[in-house]
Amino acid sequence: MNYFPDEVIEHVFDFVTSHKDRNAISLVCKSWYKIERYSRQKVFIGNCYAINPERLLRRFPCLKSLTLKGKPHFADFNLVPHEWGGFVLPWIEALARSRVGLEELRLKRMVVTDESLELLSRSFVNFKSLVLVSCEGFTTDGLASIAANCRHLRDLDLQENEIDDHRGQWLSCFPDTCTTLVTLNFACLEGETNLVALERLVARSPNLKSLKLNRAVPLDALARLMVCAPQIVDLGVGSYENDPDSESYMKLKAAVKKCTSLRSLSGFLEAAPHCLSAFHPICHNLTSLNLSYAAEIHGSHLIKLIQHCKKLQRLWILDSIGDKGLEVVASTCKELQELRVFPSDLLGGGNTAVTEEGLVAISAGCPKLHSILYFCQQMTNAALVTVAKNCPNFIRFRLCILEPNKPDHVTSQPLDEGFGAIVKACKSLRRLSLSGLLTDQVFLYIGMYANQLEMLSIAFAGDTDKGMLYVLNGCKKMKKLEIRDSPFGDTALLADVSKYETMRSLWMSSCEVTLSGCKKLAQKAPWLNVEIINENDNNRMEENGHEGRQKVDKLYLYRTVVGTRMDAPPFVWIL
Amino acid sequence: MEKEGLGLEITELRLGLPGRDVAEKMMMKKRAFTEMNMTSSGSNSDQCESGVVSSGGDVEKVNDSPAAKSQVVGWPPVCSYRRKNSCKEASTTKVGLGYVKVSMDGVPYLRKMDLGSSQGYDDLAFALDKLFGFRGIGVALKDGDNCEYVTIYEDKDGDWMLAGDVPWGMFIESCKRLRIMKRSDASGFGLQPRGVDE
Repeated sequence: MNYFPDEVIEHVFDFVTSHKDRNAISLVCKSWYKIERYSRQKVFIGNCYAINPERLLRRFPCLKSLTLKGKPHFADFNLVPHEWGGFVLPWIEALARSRVGLEELRLKRMVVTDESLELLSRSFVNFKSLVLVSCEGFTTDGLASIAANCRHLRDLDLQENEIDDHRGQWLSCFPDTCTTLVTLNFACLEGETNLVALERLVARSPNLKSLKLNRAVPLDALARLMVCAPQIVDLGVGSYENDPDSESYMKLKAAVKKCTSLRSLSGFLEAAPHCLSAFHPICHNLTSLNLSYAAEIHGSHLIKLIQHCKKLQRLWILDSIGDKGLEVVASTCKELQELRVFPSDLLGGGNTAVTEEGLVAISAGCPKLHSILYFCQQMTNAALVTVAKNCPNFIRFRLCILEPNKPDHVTSQPLDEGFGAIVKACKSLRRLSLSGLLTDQVFLYIGMYANQLEMLSIAFAGDTDKGMLYVLNGCKKMKKLEIRDSPFGDTALLADVSKYETMRSLWMSSCEVTLSGCKKLAQKAPWLNVEIINENDNNRMEENGHEGRQKVDKLYLYRTVVGTRMDAPPFVWIL
Repeated sequence: MEKEGLGLEITELRLGLPGRDVAEKMMMKKRAFTEMNMTSSGSNSDQCESGVVSSGGDVEKVNDSPAAKSQVVGWPPVCSYRRKNSCKEASTTKVGLGYVKVSMDGVPYLRKMDLGSSQGYDDLAFALDKLFGFRGIGVALKDGDNCEYVTIYEDKDGDWMLAGDVPWGMFIESCKRLRIMKRSDASGFGLQPRGVDE
């Protein structure tokens, strides 16, 4: 079979970097499996409970980079209690014990403690890169350990984490000898920042490419920082309030002009809109713009800025931009690939929100668009059909109509036909989120046409179990299915148990599945962890006389090779 | 289609005005909605956990209420980090309509009041009186010269202005916070009693 020596094959494998491809390679034959596992440096684990660190290390002893994901996606929306799980400490302990040469750790939705950060910082001499996304459980003391002990730290990237800010001096914990920083993102920290320590750190980091500041870094400090780091590529502005005639603002304008490598801009928490013009000179270079936290910037200032951004590929904004604003985006940003429009008013319908018109305009004006997340007030089937025609290249399509169950606002029909058009036209669609009034019909379309679909999010949709069955039977590549408040029950859940072996996980909350249905499933599929999350009742489910037929509030099931996890809290019942 | 004859009101999750047990209705609606549409799923739908089956007949089409909307957990699907940060923006730096901080000299704590709920300066005077339980403020706004206190506000540009000069609409657009100051602290600043220059 193999006409080449192992070293040659290994060298060939070095060019194969995607996880999917490497996984495929390892399945070809025993010899390739062996070569692949010893040469694999980067491992991605989509569900930290699908495997344990010991088995991971047995298979990949030369591991350098590990990505771990913990809580299910709906945890973002407060549907999963904080103590559910996803603890990283056992992983770090095991990695430390095995003396593997860990250089990079990327975590998403995991519980990280100061203890684990301290252990991490002390256990791996060559540790270079820490990326934490939507994690919680740690404080700035943990960051201080990382700063102090990781001699070769390159990336410290904290995205949207809940960090207890002890207002300590973690930034001053970076030794003077630390000059290797490439990424420093602490935008999610709430507290005061030692500006002097920050400036010194930036000044001695010639390789710094990405700097994202928190709220506590004011305009004058920003100006000084930009002067120290004109090579910056990705900038997250902290607080941006100031008098546009002030000296700091003048300094900032001058500094911005020198940042000719700047390609990505974000932040602007508490922004004074009239100061945005300082950035106009570099807008023509921007490929990424995130103004989704800049609630203060309205209409005309936003549009003025965007009109300069002709090369924009990624845009995240608030719906206060309005349909008219989106029309400007459509006519200006011809290179746009990804758009996210977030709701600015989470409580009620706003007047400046966007509608189907904005979406249609974008689809018509931006031929390269492949990813969209769109929160809006209303939608029509006609608009979705048009969007599908204009943009058949969608990979990710997430539409959230703010009011649950809202029909087509012109015809009062369900939105089945509109979403049907999207899945039919977009043959590469991998991720889809539905909203609005939807019947089983939309799921029939999804099952028939969404051949590449890997992740589907359903809320307040469907009529009967048929809906869920269409999806389970039709979508061969389904990996993550998450459903809330929809009338799918045991029949759909139990129809094809082997399907779940091909999927990473299934989430169902406020649906019609019963305890007996879940128990049956757990019996038929011992290689699944079937978790019932019942915060309110604890063990009441079992004691109650109606046991079998009681509806399960939250069900989360996932395939695993290591059986029931030992760290589940009392309100999680693993069948 | 199972929906014929039922009317869309039953299948839509509509929100009533506060004070109409909206939260309960929302929860009931989740089950009720599914029960209306359950045909051959095989599950025993009368064992509804909430114990109530809404007939759906009294579901009313009312305007969406912000208070009620926020009671559906996790909806709209905006991640909690983003929720926290957008709410913060609204409460601390939002100009005009909405809650503004009100401080009063001699009172060790501040209050917050909703400017949007007042219709004019008279209303505002009354509301301020209520906040601090002191009649004087209302008088200050109306009469000006006879009162121990002066009502000032911080505008969008960060300047402190005397309340009452500009039309109400303009005032609420630009008011960021209010301060009830002792007139004695403002002496020497040329504060004319109202009416002198008109």
